[in-house]
Amino acid sequence: MTTPLLEVGGLRKSFGDNVVLDGIDITVARGETVCVLGPSGAGKSTLLRCLNWLEKPDAGVIRLGGERIGMRAGGNVSMRDAELARMRTRMGMVFQHFALWPHLTVLHNLMEAPVYVQRRPRAEVRAEAEALLEKVGLADKRDAFPARLSGGQKQRVGIARALAMRPELLLFDEPTSALDPELVGEVLSVMADLRRDGMTMLIVTHEMGFAREAANRIVFIDRGRLVEEAVPEAFFTAPQTERARQFLARYAGTLSGSTLARMPA
Amino acid sequence: MSFYDWLSLLQGAGVTVLLSLSGIAIGLPLGLILAVVHWLRVPVLAPLVALYVSIVRAAPAVTLALLIFFALPSAGIEIAPIPAGIATLAISTSAFDCEIFRGGLLAFPRDQVEAALAFGMPALLRFRRIILPQMLHTVRPALINEMTLLIKASPAIAVTGVVDITRAAVRIGADTYEPLPPMMAALVLYSLFVLLFVIMQRSTERRLRREALA
Amino acid sequence: MSRGWIVVWQHHNEMLHGLLNTMWLAALAAVASLILGALLAMVLMSRLRPVVRIATIFIDAMRCVPFLLLAYFVYYGLPSLGLTLDNWTAGLSSLIAYNTGYMAELLVAAWRSLPADTIEAAHAFGFHGFGVFRRIVLPPVLLNAAPMIGNQVIQIVKDSAFLTIIAVAELTHAAAGIQSTYYVPFAAFVAAVLLYWLLCLGVEQFVGVAEAAAGRRR
Repeated sequence: MTTPLLEVGGLRKSFGDNVVLDGIDITVARGETVCVLGPSGAGKSTLLRCLNWLEKPDAGVIRLGGERIGMRAGGNVSMRDAELARMRTRMGMVFQHFALWPHLTVLHNLMEAPVYVQRRPRAEVRAEAEALLEKVGLADKRDAFPARLSGGQKQRVGIARALAMRPELLLFDEPTSALDPELVGEVLSVMADLRRDGMTMLIVTHEMGFAREAANRIVFIDRGRLVEEAVPEAFFTAPQTERARQFLARYAGTLSGSTLARMPA
Repeated sequence: MSFYDWLSLLQGAGVTVLLSLSGIAIGLPLGLILAVVHWLRVPVLAPLVALYVSIVRAAPAVTLALLIFFALPSAGIEIAPIPAGIATLAISTSAFDCEIFRGGLLAFPRDQVEAALAFGMPALLRFRRIILPQMLHTVRPALINEMTLLIKASPAIAVTGVVDITRAAVRIGADTYEPLPPMMAALVLYSLFVLLFVIMQRSTERRLRREALA
Repeated sequence: MSRGWIVVWQHHNEMLHGLLNTMWLAALAAVASLILGALLAMVLMSRLRPVVRIATIFIDAMRCVPFLLLAYFVYYGLPSLGLTLDNWTAGLSSLIAYNTGYMAELLVAAWRSLPADTIEAAHAFGFHGFGVFRRIVLPPVLLNAAPMIGNQVIQIVKDSAFLTIIAVAELTHAAAGIQSTYYVPFAAFVAAVLLYWLLCLGVEQFVGVAEAAAGRRR
């Protein structure tokens, strides 16, 4: 039994009196695509942001490839900034609002962290970055500034930027929620390609059609708790819990033909 | 510092306050007139105003004071130190006030002007009753900020021979061989004067913010 | 009056010498106060409350004091505390001390207006500490704050004229010297004012270049 790539146990997080995460356990195996679904405010984004310690969890253990994140081995001492930074480079993150660096061109956005954080040689990073831009279909935009791109283009750059770090795991925080409907497809298409290439991905999303098609496993979170976990077919056609049923009933409309038609073959 | 020293410091304070307030009182209406001339694009005058404002805004207060105090007599106009000091401050601040007013006029919401036009208001009335009152209200913080800058530039007038707070403090220090106490006192006096304006500015900002939320 | 212009032209070397000194003073003070202001901005944005307090008090103090008074303090006042500086050094250090606070404030304002998620993305990608500041915060802050920095540089140029009162050989001092020796007040000081104006236009040109670069990225 190989070690799962990501192991989360007993994750808890509150903001003041508001308990957002109430003891979550998740594992993600290498090469798996896990989609996290749930109603708004259920804590999905917070969960993701705790994984790379952008939010500091109140309790719980997070392990990447067996190594603990955020706290040192004993569990009592916080990691130093530099150690945490190193762990973060192993996880790529794609943000809902893209979070591209506005003062850099598209190509330099991709090159910035590999060169200045991972200290890889510039020429090698540049070659890889150009290949990645080719892969997401934006080779002609390499010298453009983010402000000149559409939302869909920005997010594809965001994905390429995360890939440029050669991460072991990709975290997606509602990658298409901020996009106009007609731009969603191009981003989902790139994500589907990544899945086919065997990338390990943890995706928080509202795109039910994509989740059904692309996920190996669905994790359903409601009110800070992991309520149901199943393969997509099982989750969407025969949800086991009442809350999952309610959620799916509300979102039944999004499983329409138009959403599925946007999906890549 | 002796009682007499304090007295001369306070006298200097009086001079600073008098000249600053006079400079502000003359500079504000002058700045408004310049701003309106520029904004209305009056032929011949408007580009001259633009040039004048550009040059005066770049001119240091000291150089301007020297120019006014020493150059005017050579053109036949005798001028005493105090009027020269007031003129320096007034001319300098009028250029900055002009730009502040002009910014306020240019940023004025177009639709209010159009509404006034639709109601058949003639130009002068439009300006006087619709544009001016509101614009003055919006630019108040910037104007008050410029007033504090004027106060802080006022020591420049000492080159004309006027004895303001700074010059009084330096003189007391030179006489008593203890330069620090009068300078500290001068700092306190300036701070009090500036503080008055800062309080005015903060209360205006608060009121503007409340009105924006309403 | 035309005699005045001829005299000024004959002594243009002195004027130029004064002009160069003004430019040199302003350039040194601008660069130094910008660098120190950036460091002070880091302090202001840090979470260490007591340090932020001290920094804020320093900035408020610089805001209240007229520049000339500060220059006098450094030149005439510090010797009685044991530190004696020549007039050039006193003038330069006053310019730097005075403007560091203003630079810090305008850098902080530009910093605060950066979208929060670009900094978060930097953390997610493994940047930390000074690296975030140097690569992700500072470049867009400098670009966005360029017009305000330009205004401050113009202020520095103008404040440098006060130093004529402590006999620093800058432009106004040169003009006053020519004036008092040859009795040509109008020509000398008008020439000085026009030279200050040219300096100001030069700074605005630079700012224009930075604004264009910022505009391409907006």
